[in-house]
Amino acid sequence: MSTEEITEAVNLLSAVESQTQDVTKLVDHLLKKATENEYNTSKGISFLELKYQLLLSYLMNLTYISLQKSQGSSIQDDPTIDRLIEIRTVLEKMRPIDKKLKYQVDKVVRTAASGGTDSSDPLRYRANPENLISKLDDESESESEGEEKKSKIYHPPKLTAMHYEGDETEMDKDQKVLERAKKRALSTSMLRELREEFSEGPTEIRETTSTQRSRAERKLRERTHYEEENFMRFSVSKKDKGKKGKKAKQIISKKFVYDYMKPIFVSNVAKSPD
Amino acid sequence: AATIRTRKFMTNRLLCRKQMIVDVLHPGKATIPKTEVREKLAKMYKTTPDVIFCFGFRTKFGGGKTSGFGLIYDSLDFAKKFEPKYRLQRHGLVEIKKTGRKQRKERKNRQKKVRGTKKAKVGAGKK
Repeated sequence: MSTEEITEAVNLLSAVESQTQDVTKLVDHLLKKATENEYNTSKGISFLELKYQLLLSYLMNLTYISLQKSQGSSIQDDPTIDRLIEIRTVLEKMRPIDKKLKYQVDKVVRTAASGGTDSSDPLRYRANPENLISKLDDESESESEGEEKKSKIYHPPKLTAMHYEGDETEMDKDQKVLERAKKRALSTSMLRELREEFSEGPTEIRETTSTQRSRAERKLRERTHYEEENFMRFSVSKKDKGKKGKKAKQIISKKFVYDYMKPIFVSNVAKSPD
Repeated sequence: AATIRTRKFMTNRLLCRKQMIVDVLHPGKATIPKTEVREKLAKMYKTTPDVIFCFGFRTKFGGGKTSGFGLIYDSLDFAKKFEPKYRLQRHGLVEIKKTGRKQRKERKNRQKKVRGTKKAKVGAGKK
């Protein structure tokens, strides 16, 4: 060992000696206090106090064990080990309770550290149960007063969230209209039938529930099915002729078809002088 | 320019014929006459057009597509045996004698005046 290390060791040992003297003085003081029943334990000790007492005793026992081991004496059948085990189990059992108290403890610690709380601390807010009670009973009483207070402008009640359209430009609106027209044109029965004809996949029979025309369409479908099965044609009664006439009143001329299908071929909206 | 497609093809062995649904696509034109449809079907199924009987052609709303029925018999004899008279008459194979509507009604009215077997005698002699 070098001289530096020796001097360092000597210094440390002397420090240890002085500190042990202080510690013994403190311990004697505490012992006197404890024997004179200055610490009132009639109501039991608090959870937090128990926690640090247990930790302290755990440390003491641990140091005793390590002392024994450094001296070379065996620790077999030493009651210290039982004590250690007991303290350890209690600490383990305390852990979930400690977790539940964690929020409160942290808050208190933070308050202590920051030196007081300000009223606008967001953690101070909690639910106000009075706001949850419906106050409908008050409305009937205030009706007579309310008529005078009613404003001239009608404000519709805000029940659901509505789409906001204020930020759309003119071009965006035109584009949207065009897209919608395109979608509608693509899904006409004409194109759908063409697609069905030329597609190589199997025919799909889909169940659609269009409530408006479901009955009429179902009847028509039944009729055509019967006709095709039995190789005959029904004679159209006057009533049916009238019904077919209603649809026929939308005269599908070539120009109409062209205008309807035009959106499919328009790729983008340009400001046309229409 | 007309296209013919057949659907729901079935060989009816009992009536010695092939029956199908005929779809005619004729965009921009009027409905195609039945004789032309028969010609086209004959070409498709490699037979003579005289054993082919088409009927019930209905054009879909808006034009361009017509659906009807078609029967192709194995031979003309079978056709004459199984087809109804009015369809054979359309092909000119059978002549249906019609006495005229007015004549029939007048005969009926004359028959009303008589009772029993004399009705037949009345009808025979048209006054």
